[in-house]
Amino acid sequence: MSEVRLQNISKSFGGHTVLPDLNLTVPDGSFTVLVGPSGCGKSTLLRIISGLEEPTSGAVMIGGHDVTLDEPSKRGISMVFQSYALYPHMTVAQNIDFGLRLAKMPAAERKSRVAEAARILALEPYLDRKPAQLSGGQRQRVAIGRSIVRQPKVFLFDEPLSNLDAALRTQMRVELAQLHQSLDATMIYVTHDQVEAMTLADQIVVMNAGRIEQVGAPMELYDRPQTVFVAGFIGSPKMNLMPGAAVGHPEAETAGIRPEHLVIAPEGLSARALVVETLGADTIVHADVEGVGPMTVRLAGNNRLRAGEVIRIAPEPGHMHLFDKNGQRMGEPA
Amino acid sequence: MTLADAGRRLPASARMRRAISNGRVTAVLILLPPALILFTLFVTLPLGESAWYSFFNWNGYGTPSNFVGIANYERILNHSVFHIAVGNTLKIVAISLLIQMPLALFLALLIYKKTPTNAVFRLVFFLPYILAEVAAGLIWSFVFDGNYGVTASIAQSLGLGNVFILSDPDLAFMAIMTVIVWKYFGFHMMIYIAALQSVPQDQIEAAKIEGASRRQVVRYVQIPHIKPAIAVSAFFAIIGALQVFDVIIPLTNGGPSNQTHTIVTYLYTFGLTRLNIGFGSAVGVILFVGAVTVAVFYQRIFMKRAEA
Repeated sequence: MSEVRLQNISKSFGGHTVLPDLNLTVPDGSFTVLVGPSGCGKSTLLRIISGLEEPTSGAVMIGGHDVTLDEPSKRGISMVFQSYALYPHMTVAQNIDFGLRLAKMPAAERKSRVAEAARILALEPYLDRKPAQLSGGQRQRVAIGRSIVRQPKVFLFDEPLSNLDAALRTQMRVELAQLHQSLDATMIYVTHDQVEAMTLADQIVVMNAGRIEQVGAPMELYDRPQTVFVAGFIGSPKMNLMPGAAVGHPEAETAGIRPEHLVIAPEGLSARALVVETLGADTIVHADVEGVGPMTVRLAGNNRLRAGEVIRIAPEPGHMHLFDKNGQRMGEPA
Repeated sequence: MTLADAGRRLPASARMRRAISNGRVTAVLILLPPALILFTLFVTLPLGESAWYSFFNWNGYGTPSNFVGIANYERILNHSVFHIAVGNTLKIVAISLLIQMPLALFLALLIYKKTPTNAVFRLVFFLPYILAEVAAGLIWSFVFDGNYGVTASIAQSLGLGNVFILSDPDLAFMAIMTVIVWKYFGFHMMIYIAALQSVPQDQIEAAKIEGASRRQVVRYVQIPHIKPAIAVSAFFAIIGALQVFDVIIPLTNGGPSNQTHTIVTYLYTFGLTRLNIGFGSAVGVILFVGAVTVAVFYQRIFMKRAEA
């Protein structure tokens, strides 16, 4: 049982409030991703869970126990940092073993745990190397290995893939997903990359300015964003947001339609293509739409459209999201 | 040009032509002579001259003519005060390494974080280093004064009567070493503070999460990180200890009974003030050879190891 529950957490630095009042439950065994723009408080929240930061008020419960005042090492958590935080003077094996050595675990058990972690993460050939002799991906695996060997109840990840190149990031994403499946542990993962959030999470927590905008499964957030912020944040390319009146919904302050839910239709609105990005499987068209303004359209395949050409586009029925003047969702998609 | 040619070094003439055309030769011709002339005038020539004088019995006036060979060196090596001076210098090296540096590291660990309070403490601890050595020596000579000094007041209040620390052969050098530690620990502390501030915070946090206590964080994360700084600081401590002079003159002037001389105060007292320039030069040469030997070996052994 390693459910993480945050009750009325607030955090201020000096006079600046980063987290006003936050409640969140991370179910046992889930992969929960905290996502949001820079400065939204997601890393602060993770540090509060880890115990590296004390909340100004509120309680942190892990596995049903109040750990708010406990030291980080007493919480049954481990953390993987964006910079990997490996000790440069220690070998890979010593880095992985460090926590076990501090815990005065018997040497035989330490050795077997390090060997097991190295096997899972394919680090066996590198155990005697220093971190400086490893690639970014290998370093990240060492950092994960250091987490695994301690067999924590909860794994915390603070933007662990941000320093990797795009190809390695994709590969590590898959490896992390596999790791979650094989360990079946609770994982809390902070990122500003919504692709990581969508692909890894069972549960996504979208944060904005210290508040939780929406909590839900990835496709729930994609299909039914509860606020304008979530609508604009989840999905790539991002959702087209425009005044409701401009698209025949005067009752709504803002209307939103995803680029992939716009189709070419002879009776649609006239749209002049400004920039055309051909991706192979899709074509992204940045267009100026008559009476609406700039919009992004995602068309399937390569349709050989060129900048300057005019097309006619219309929304697919049942995919228009409407939001009131407070930015809150208004009913089902129209 | 084939790929194989590309990896080959250019011939010497072509390399020279390139160096001339890209201005490297001009830069060397313009910038090197001033440095070379100054170094020769103020370092190499005096060194050579003092090595030359060390073979003469010469009082500094006129041209040295009384060639005595290695007699000056023999006198120095057989002189009991020189033995005391070398012993005292080694004591200062030991005190610097074993008390001053650990004290500086301990204080640096307490105040390395950037806070307004720590800034005040840093300034206070660094102040003795800024103070001129002679001034520091004078201040402490008042502190240790057996009639009116702070130590006299303490001794009297404890019923010990008047204690003349700087006149006591057993206590005088202890007092000097206290002043040296007080004077220079701030310098080493600043080196450690700068190094400690560069230790990545997330490594410290990772260690805390893994269960490291404050002491273990220091031992396993912070000290290994600042090893190169410790190596540099120890180097300065050793070379500095070999050169201690200004603090001792106002405190004891080498006394009582020549018990508190270092190699440099020995050189000054028995060489310069007694107008034995040849003798003093020989002491200088011995000190120079010692310092260079220490520096070279230290650089080769410890500083390379710290960087590894």
